[in-house]
Amino acid sequence: MVGYAMRRILGLVAVWFIAVLLTFIAVQFVPGDPILALLSDRSGDPVLEARLRAEYGLDRALWVQFLDYLGNIANGTFGLSFRFAGTPVIDVIAGGLTISPVLALVSIAIAVPLGVSLGVFVAIRQNTWADTLVILILVAGISVPNFAMAAFLVYLFSIKLGLVPVAGWGGADQLILPVTILVIPPTAYIARLTRTYMLEVLQQDYIRTARAKGVRERLVIYRHALRNTLVPLLTTIGIIFGGLLSGTFVVETIFNIPGLGRMAIESIFARDYPVTMSIVLLFTVFYSLINLIIDLLYAALDPRIRLDAGES
Amino acid sequence: MAGESASGPERPQSEFIIRFRRNRNAMIGSIIVALVVAAALLAPWIVPYDVEKVNMLTVWEPPGEDFWFGADALGRDVFSRVIVGARVSLLVAVSVLAITLTVGTILGMCAAYFGGWVDTVIMRTVDIIFAFPELIFAILIAAMLGPGKLTVIIALSIVWWPGIARLTRSLVLSLKSELFVEAAIASGTPVHRIMRRHFLPNIIAPLIVRASIGVGFIIMAEATLSFLGIGVQEPEPTWGGMIRDGLSQLRTDPHLALYASLALGITMVGFNLLGDGLRDILDPRVRDR
Amino acid sequence: MRVYTVPTIIGAASLALATMISSPGSAAELRTNINADPSMVDPITYSELISGDILMNIYEGFVGLDKDGNVVPALATGWKAHDDNLGFRFELRKGVKFHSGRDFTAKDVKYTFEQLLIPGNKGGLNSEYLDGIVGADAVKEGKTTTLEGVKAVDEHTLDVRFTSPDVLFPIYPFFFMDSGIVAEHGADWATKASAGTGPFKFVAWKRGQEVQLAAHKDYWDGSPKTEGVRFLVVPSGDTAVSMYEAGELDLVYADQGTIRRILKDDQFEGQRITAPAAQIRYLGMNQTQYEPFKDIRVRQAVCIAFDRDAMAKGLYGGAAFPLYGQVTPGVAGYNPDLKPIPYDPDTAKKLLAEAGYPGGKGLPPIKVTSTEPNKNDIAYFASQLKDVLGMPVEVEVVERGSHIKKMNAGEVAFFPWGWSAGYPDALYFLSQVWYGPSKYNRSRWQNDDFDKLIEESQKTADEKSRYALYNKAEQILLDDWGTCPTTVRMQVALKKPYVSGVNLIPFRFLPFNEVAVNR
Repeated sequence: MVGYAMRRILGLVAVWFIAVLLTFIAVQFVPGDPILALLSDRSGDPVLEARLRAEYGLDRALWVQFLDYLGNIANGTFGLSFRFAGTPVIDVIAGGLTISPVLALVSIAIAVPLGVSLGVFVAIRQNTWADTLVILILVAGISVPNFAMAAFLVYLFSIKLGLVPVAGWGGADQLILPVTILVIPPTAYIARLTRTYMLEVLQQDYIRTARAKGVRERLVIYRHALRNTLVPLLTTIGIIFGGLLSGTFVVETIFNIPGLGRMAIESIFARDYPVTMSIVLLFTVFYSLINLIIDLLYAALDPRIRLDAGES
Repeated sequence: MAGESASGPERPQSEFIIRFRRNRNAMIGSIIVALVVAAALLAPWIVPYDVEKVNMLTVWEPPGEDFWFGADALGRDVFSRVIVGARVSLLVAVSVLAITLTVGTILGMCAAYFGGWVDTVIMRTVDIIFAFPELIFAILIAAMLGPGKLTVIIALSIVWWPGIARLTRSLVLSLKSELFVEAAIASGTPVHRIMRRHFLPNIIAPLIVRASIGVGFIIMAEATLSFLGIGVQEPEPTWGGMIRDGLSQLRTDPHLALYASLALGITMVGFNLLGDGLRDILDPRVRDR
Repeated sequence: MRVYTVPTIIGAASLALATMISSPGSAAELRTNINADPSMVDPITYSELISGDILMNIYEGFVGLDKDGNVVPALATGWKAHDDNLGFRFELRKGVKFHSGRDFTAKDVKYTFEQLLIPGNKGGLNSEYLDGIVGADAVKEGKTTTLEGVKAVDEHTLDVRFTSPDVLFPIYPFFFMDSGIVAEHGADWATKASAGTGPFKFVAWKRGQEVQLAAHKDYWDGSPKTEGVRFLVVPSGDTAVSMYEAGELDLVYADQGTIRRILKDDQFEGQRITAPAAQIRYLGMNQTQYEPFKDIRVRQAVCIAFDRDAMAKGLYGGAAFPLYGQVTPGVAGYNPDLKPIPYDPDTAKKLLAEAGYPGGKGLPPIKVTSTEPNKNDIAYFASQLKDVLGMPVEVEVVERGSHIKKMNAGEVAFFPWGWSAGYPDALYFLSQVWYGPSKYNRSRWQNDDFDKLIEESQKTADEKSRYALYNKAEQILLDDWGTCPTTVRMQVALKKPYVSGVNLIPFRFLPFNEVAVNR
């Protein structure tokens, strides 16, 4: 187990390095010149342009720029922002550093129990009207785009009913709508998976045996069936988490939440490469850490997996 | 489908149809999908207006006899744009599927068949792409290439082939130890023939399931990129772009965002139901429930 | 069944949270929106609109504007040109206190000018106004940090000398800063301290959230009527209006996309404020990039082939009006008697045929290029020119930074663009956009008579004769169809009934010192 964990962590560090390299390369291809965006209407001034270019080290060889970038990651500044001239990236993103991950974590903490409950609810009612209805609602929950859902909920709850703020960040009430939007798709996804796994497990011999032995139905479902449903469910949490992180891009933009997702979109439009790169990197690191934890948990729960690392 | 699969040529087809007919989800889904595909294919003949024709006199015209779904900020017919939007969405989805299924299947089979460094190189690449959250990686690529339809197709293909490759690899790995494959390898059958005759027919069902579920993801991802302004660009109509343009007018002229959202939502429901249904039918694990 | 419990608990919790009301903030504080973080909050590197909206409440120059857009004295009470017309002597206002409590003197003006020019400081927009001062080049090149042409005669008298006449110098919108601020707070004072004389002090900038200002009680023109101003960062204009509806903002400066919603929704009756923007908009035709544009008949045909009234109504939801010249109303030197440019498809077709392109035949393909916010405009131009003239026009949406670079280099053939006045005088438009040697002459239109008139007006102190020169120059430009003026947009803002003293002028909002909030 410890050996497996060590191997995974080493692999992770290698992946991070390549991710740094990839984002760095990717950003070189972004159309538009950040210095020109910085100068905006004054890009007719070649002296100023040259001066800024030198200041940002953009006049140097690419590999030197890459080493600079690695150094800046190492010292924790992540380089200088283009949009906020002279400001270290870390100062630009510091305010939003925890927001997107917190949003994602809160959402998953709600989505998992909610989704599992719903999934069990419909699984034990297979082929009844309730089953069909809930499934349709779940499919709709996955199908309606989060930005359309957001518009609708804002209209209903903030404008018409005045129950929650339209946008903003800081109060618990400002969390409700964004989290609701974020929670719906993973809840629906988990519920559908739970239903599928549950139905599968309920066919298994040991469940039949338990039933034949006269174990009470409730016990059969919660002690035996549900437990065996949760383990395969665990492997999908990573994917769901990635979806949630991506979802923060849209939700933060719509609800005016000063998190990393909104900053990433803004920085793309402002050609603020260093900020874009750093946020993508942070998301990647965070995402891969979550996946590592899940894989380790899974390995602990199901020893067979260690034989075939890299799989899962 | 090639005829040499393990379970014989005729039975699975008819059995498939019977199962399909019995599956409510799959039936509803396939009807919706058929309608969307028909709308997309027939778009040039059924749209009442030129989707790029600007008319200052009909700006934000509400839905009515002339414009069934109203008109947008440039006086263009929303109904026509929703229909052509289906074409754009499906074109992106089909392109991405074609690319990722081809690349993913071939690389996945190679990784499983050859093993060794081929396997390592392919699967490490897959791991790296998997290290990024899907949509965020797509956004990064889209930002890098600049907005446009081709960009969306490339970005989504890059994030989507690894899933296919990984699935193919694990399916082929378990096939490799089957007797009929071992026999074929032992008798010196060429690699491409083994892949085509023995692997492909036996992994096609799970791949179809995966693809049908993926269509929903791809369409949604395209809409999200377009919504964020880094996807397909004007004047080409896209549902995501229309929803974005319509959101600001939600209070006064909701028709643009509304009809575009409905089109996107219904299409997504269709593909998700179809995907679910196909999985229930084709995935052997849940077949005998 | 127990499975109900989880959703029920969450539902109850959401409801409980929903009934909590967010704290309304200080009662007498003004809350308004900015659509992005400012790029900077210091008066030296200042170079963009949002920073300007904030900084104009903190800093002041020689002059300010009144609610009719007229220039009025601020930190200078008067000035007199030197006899050779190469400079001014300014009388500065006495008894003005900086936010630090120090007195404002001539020394601070000189310091501000020097800081703007010192190379390492990245002097922003305001540094351009100093080019004509004696010794400016020496400071810019880093040879000295003392600006030779500016002298503090005494505490409240300042002498400025130019190398060539610049009659508009007194109305340039400077932001004078406290010369003692660096000694007190260090080089990175800008996000920690406030160095102006204006009605509000800088308090804090929470990136991505808000910029907070507090009233400067010792303001020379009387203490502001609010306790402070909060500029909330709200990127989506639509969200800003929704926040306004929900009572989370008191004042909203509407972005282009939300204007229609604001004008159409009856609930905003009596809460709207509008003013034309001091921004010319035009369709640039670069003759060096597209051969047919060299023919004046083609240029005229293009300019009369689209309908300015329909654009104003359709594209801008009524919040615009046609522009027939290259100066906007509200800017000194505006000519209200210009001939309207008609929408005349028949004449346009005829002119094009006379030029040798009947029905657009023989015209090489061309792209009309602009950025994302202008995508509706270019879609309209392309559709219209195709329909009326048969011109093979495609639309092209490009990224802003590289587009501006290409336009400045004279490499874009056909582009709708705008230019906002930095000070309230027509010379800003005429000399920057259409004067031959200007680096912002993006169409590369050039006319010797026009250029001579501009040079002459820069030396003409008398306003009446100067405006006559502007009008003459503008007419030359229009007669040659060197530009297609398009529209002037209206600025639209929303103000809650309990807010008073807000002034929206062609140059955006006036400083908020007159604003009172009685929530």
